[in-house]
Amino acid sequence: MHRRGVGAGAIAKKKLAEMSKQLDMFKTNLEEFASKHKQEIRKNPEFRVQFQDMCATIGVDPLASGKGFWSEMLGVGDFYYELGVQIIEVCLALKHRNGGLITLEELHQQVLKGRGKFAQDVSQDDLIRAIKKLKALGTGFGIIPVGGTYLIQSVPAELNMDHTVVLQLAEKNGYVTVSEIKASLKWETERARQVLEHLLKEGLAWLDLQAPGEAHYWLPALFTDLYSQEITAEEAREALP
Amino acid sequence: MAMSFEWPLQPNVDTRQKQLAAWCSLVLSFCRLHKQSSMTVMEAQESPLFNNVKLQRKLPVESIQIVLEELRKKGNLEWLDKSKSSFLIMWRRPEEWGKLIYQWVSRSGQNNSVFTLYELTNGEDTEDEEFHGLDEATLLRALQALQQEHKAEIITVSDGRGVKFF
Repeated sequence: MHRRGVGAGAIAKKKLAEMSKQLDMFKTNLEEFASKHKQEIRKNPEFRVQFQDMCATIGVDPLASGKGFWSEMLGVGDFYYELGVQIIEVCLALKHRNGGLITLEELHQQVLKGRGKFAQDVSQDDLIRAIKKLKALGTGFGIIPVGGTYLIQSVPAELNMDHTVVLQLAEKNGYVTVSEIKASLKWETERARQVLEHLLKEGLAWLDLQAPGEAHYWLPALFTDLYSQEITAEEAREALP
Repeated sequence: MAMSFEWPLQPNVDTRQKQLAAWCSLVLSFCRLHKQSSMTVMEAQESPLFNNVKLQRKLPVESIQIVLEELRKKGNLEWLDKSKSSFLIMWRRPEEWGKLIYQWVSRSGQNNSVFTLYELTNGEDTEDEEFHGLDEATLLRALQALQQEHKAEIITVSDGRGVKFF
């Protein structure tokens, strides 16, 4: 007769039981932790980052669903949901100016402005998380890394790798030219032209034929500090026939 | 230096709309600030409004004409001659000025009073009003708008023109 009991299967089972118990304990501790620090989570951006990292380590997504433990116990979901709504409002208000593309910095500035003096502080990390949620909800939001930062896309323009790499190139001066694209990216003229045509078509780029040398393609989304006089969304709306 | 233009304004239709709206807003702000109520197209071409020396950019005359036509459609511009070489520019439309003037008249209980044009825009009584200092051409059009609504009648007075309000 074969001896059963001690063998690979039994060890695995025992390990599993131990791990399960550990995970339960961990979860309970986390819940306790969460309830103690609910206020902190709402008030402190740094704390939120650390909390999120901790959750990620154990494979928990506090923003996974609207109902359930995390959002109810912590109001984490509410916080990011509200932030998501604010982000959408800012993007809508500025869309006429930048075609639906905005730098993370400008978005941050505008969100803080909208929240007023007494509102809780919001970090760029918070914005990215909220936008990731918006993205997952299929709202057309996108995040494009450029230079050392990100461009947030709020209008579902079709942007492929070629387009985003040209956007990254444009970040330096706020504009880009065919020559610059050819020199930096080693592309053929036609490929560069097609990308620029597409950016024009999507309303993300404006054509400047009076620039010295060759046509400049300007990207209002990258302008943030260069405006001296702004036309507000209200004025733009009123001015259109 | 300047390349030949295939497009006087932005090629993308939506972008062009935004561009036109921005230009219209700029023209009105500029004229309001510099208290300019009329201009010739030649002047406009060379003025800092359409010719930005610092940026080394000029709006070509074809585009200027499109902007001016847009302003005309919105009621802020009127051509002063058939050849469209000079124009009246009103940062507020005549109807809007008319409304402001009539509101002042009613508020101060002066319906059925008669004013000279000068009194309206340069009199002591209107010093605090927005239409104080308004140029005569725009004022006339404002009063004509009120006349259409039967709220006023432009009349001749001793040494010029005046208006009676109802």
